[in-house]
Amino acid sequence: MDRSPLGALRNMDDLLADFVAETREMLEASESEIIAWEANPGDGSRVDAIFRFVHTVKGNCGFLDFPRLAELSHAAEDALADVRAGRREPNAKLVTAVLAVIDRIVELVDAIEANGQCPGGEDTVLIASLSDQDEGDEISAVDEIASKRQLDHADPNPQSATANAQTTQRTIRLPVDLLDRVMSGVSDMVLARNDLAHRLREAGNQPTIDGPFERLTSILSDVRDAITRMRMQRIETLFSSLPRLVRDLSAELDKRVLIDLEGGDVELDREMIETVRDPLTHIIRNAIDHGIEPPSERLAIGKRESAFLSIAARQSGNTISIVVSDDGRGIDEERIAEKALATGLITPGERSAMDREKILQLIFEPGFSTAKEVSNVSGRGVGLDVVRENLERVGGSIKVSSTTGVGTLFTLQIPLTLSIIAGLTVQIAGQRFAIPQSYVEEIIHASSKALDLTRMGETSLVTFRGQRVPCLELADVLNLDPEASEGADRSMVMLRLASGDLFALAVDAIHSHGDIVVKPLAPAVMKSGLYAGSTLLDDGQPVLLLDVTNIASNYGLVSDARTRVLNDALETKTHHEERVQRAMLFTDFEGRRRAIRLEVVQRIETTPAEAIDLTSSRARVVIDGLILPLVGLPDGPIPAPKLRLLRLSDGASDLLYAVRAIEDAVELTQDLKPEPDDPLVEAITLVDDQTVALMDSHALFAQHGEASTPVARPTCRLPDGEWARTILAPLVNAAGYDVVEIGTPENECEIAIWFEDEYEAAKALDWEFTNPVIRLRDHPESGASDTIYRYDREGLTDALRKARISLKSSSADAKGEAA
Amino acid sequence: MSELLDKTQIAGRRCALPAGDVKSVIELGAITPVPRSPDFIAGITALRSQALTVIDCRKALGLDPASWETDPRAAVVAVGGHSYALVVDAIEDIASGQTSPDSVPGGFGAEWTRVALGMVETAIGPGLLVDLAALIAGPAATGAAA
Repeated sequence: MDRSPLGALRNMDDLLADFVAETREMLEASESEIIAWEANPGDGSRVDAIFRFVHTVKGNCGFLDFPRLAELSHAAEDALADVRAGRREPNAKLVTAVLAVIDRIVELVDAIEANGQCPGGEDTVLIASLSDQDEGDEISAVDEIASKRQLDHADPNPQSATANAQTTQRTIRLPVDLLDRVMSGVSDMVLARNDLAHRLREAGNQPTIDGPFERLTSILSDVRDAITRMRMQRIETLFSSLPRLVRDLSAELDKRVLIDLEGGDVELDREMIETVRDPLTHIIRNAIDHGIEPPSERLAIGKRESAFLSIAARQSGNTISIVVSDDGRGIDEERIAEKALATGLITPGERSAMDREKILQLIFEPGFSTAKEVSNVSGRGVGLDVVRENLERVGGSIKVSSTTGVGTLFTLQIPLTLSIIAGLTVQIAGQRFAIPQSYVEEIIHASSKALDLTRMGETSLVTFRGQRVPCLELADVLNLDPEASEGADRSMVMLRLASGDLFALAVDAIHSHGDIVVKPLAPAVMKSGLYAGSTLLDDGQPVLLLDVTNIASNYGLVSDARTRVLNDALETKTHHEERVQRAMLFTDFEGRRRAIRLEVVQRIETTPAEAIDLTSSRARVVIDGLILPLVGLPDGPIPAPKLRLLRLSDGASDLLYAVRAIEDAVELTQDLKPEPDDPLVEAITLVDDQTVALMDSHALFAQHGEASTPVARPTCRLPDGEWARTILAPLVNAAGYDVVEIGTPENECEIAIWFEDEYEAAKALDWEFTNPVIRLRDHPESGASDTIYRYDREGLTDALRKARISLKSSSADAKGEAA
Repeated sequence: MSELLDKTQIAGRRCALPAGDVKSVIELGAITPVPRSPDFIAGITALRSQALTVIDCRKALGLDPASWETDPRAAVVAVGGHSYALVVDAIEDIASGQTSPDSVPGGFGAEWTRVALGMVETAIGPGLLVDLAALIAGPAATGAAA
């Protein structure tokens, strides 16, 4: 979450530079349209590009506070809107006037770039020339403008030329084409390298070639990483301008809005970021302008005075979704329908056949707008239709869902084309396909019997962790003949969709996984809806990347994000809907059968007894680089060399529960009888006619939960010498320390290892040991009592572990005191 | 008009592709089929690190390729930011167009009209100038348009 003002205060210079660059780019893009319109003023179809240009300028300078630019562009937009709506016939006079306005805009933008501010001046004549009243003196004004325009063309403003020369550029703008070329060049090099590697292997060991070849390989992988990063950018760069946009807009419109940004660290193709920038800005504008009520109205209906606008980015598989939600008045379905009827977008017959959801999506139709009045901020329906068009052009999509009175939620989905993702290759009917790794929950290889494969009508089901999960045959999906015969062992890929739905995909075989470079597919192939892109295997053979989400939704396996949001909203209102309660059944170390709600169980861990630290009052264990509290151990020594642990999570913190044996996941069908005597037991219930105590997850976390902090790798200073570097360092590393260079100041490392003799020598020189020290002796027979023989691996690991835990607790204490 | 043209045979007819749009001519290697894609898409193939969509031009015209020979080479073209490899009967020669594309009396016939920009004369005889975008859209587009 980013509520800090730092993001908002992105350098004004950057904003201006962006504005200038964007205006220039758009102008360049619409230049040909302008010229075509100039040649044939009667051709109204040219107007769209020019309209968008002035519209964008208007929008941008609205929040950069250039009233003069805003007024000019607003006037031109008005005139062009009339043309678009057919209220006005374009003619030579209008073309000249509009072009004069555009020229003036360019002049002003040049001046802004040079001085950082908009020069003062008078535009009344120019603006008046846009009006369609034919009055004599106005024509002369236009003539005057026209001649001035020709003059400008003949003699480009010398001032603006010098201004251009003065601009210093802090970043370089590169054509994406060039980046693509470099990227595909590097990919080609990787393929050539693979080919060469193959030939070298065939030729046998050749030391004189192998060395340079290894170097080439590592350089190539560095370059590849760099290129990839060149294309990727955190979405933060886009988010950072939003707080200001929201602040300025809400000030302008007299609304109060809190903005909440989430997922700024999601990385996205630079080009995609640029593609999303405008749509996102448009949606935010719409939300503030139309969605969010004025403060007084909000108070009157019992809402908080300040509205809440949340923008969250998430990566799920090969898609980034950006969700913009507000808690405003929502979208009025009736008004949308009326408007659509009035503008002829739909017929009354179609209207009656449409459900609310369909009607809401009408706001993305061209020429649609619900604003009663055209305001300076949004309006006129440039926006949502263009937003959708822009997103669809890059293979993305946009949806809206809304609950009247509660709020509106826009979901933008954008693909991660030409990016690198982790992928799994599977085989079906002799052909390979790739699946994004992020969807893969688990891979199962088992007989149909073990999977309990059953067919319900046309749908297959498998049993996965006690749950019936729909199963798709990839062969059916792709209309191919599978190799595996009935009854043989099957390979199943369990896929978890972003919506949380789980399904199994049956394939013939599972191959490697690794990073794959996703390339876009031709539209005709994309149309099949089965593929998200293509990629090349190491041998240069292209394979298709399956579009998991789309395939699942083709088979009706996706509970739509919108329905879930709406359901969530409903659930919070009505609250209790009967749901099957599930729990994990286990036996604890006192031999009691207990259960814990399945929702809090993350997974089952197995850990060696020596990983458990009992030195402090509370047992802890390190798993996946996290120090986690451990409960459920009996008093006394740890009962087994290996322990089964249930990893519980309340979303924020993790907790481990040691158990003797894990039985199964069960449904809690019987009554839950509250158990007041044991605070850690929520209730007693019957499972298979035996009593089971259901653990109180709330109490567990209240008593034992603590936010799991990643084990910050403390730094350890090693003694000098080859032995320490090559033999000791890996051990220290494995014990969870970062090894620092010898000569690093004492205060920059947290623990130091010394050889006994060096330690003594240093001590004799009154060396100040500010950090814990582990001393090593050269001989196995004991020397000083607190030294460790240098090959006593266990002793050393143990000492390092203890030192780390004491470091950890002292830093935790320090934090506690600070708080 | 002196545009360079790539002369090819498609479905037994002499056609011309704008040489500026033809990036290269490649030997077709292994083609990965694309299940459940339109018939005229033969699959995808790799050109170095690039993936090309392989289009059988005969099928894209709604004709049966079995009636003609197939050149083992394919013309690589870029349309709408994507690269395609066009499978044709034969890739013949490069020639410069000597006339502007022109219609012929009676039209080009049902399958051809959709993809034809017109007839051009070259030093080695006339050819049908092909609209690559229309060709690549495949026969399905005709159905939708008709």
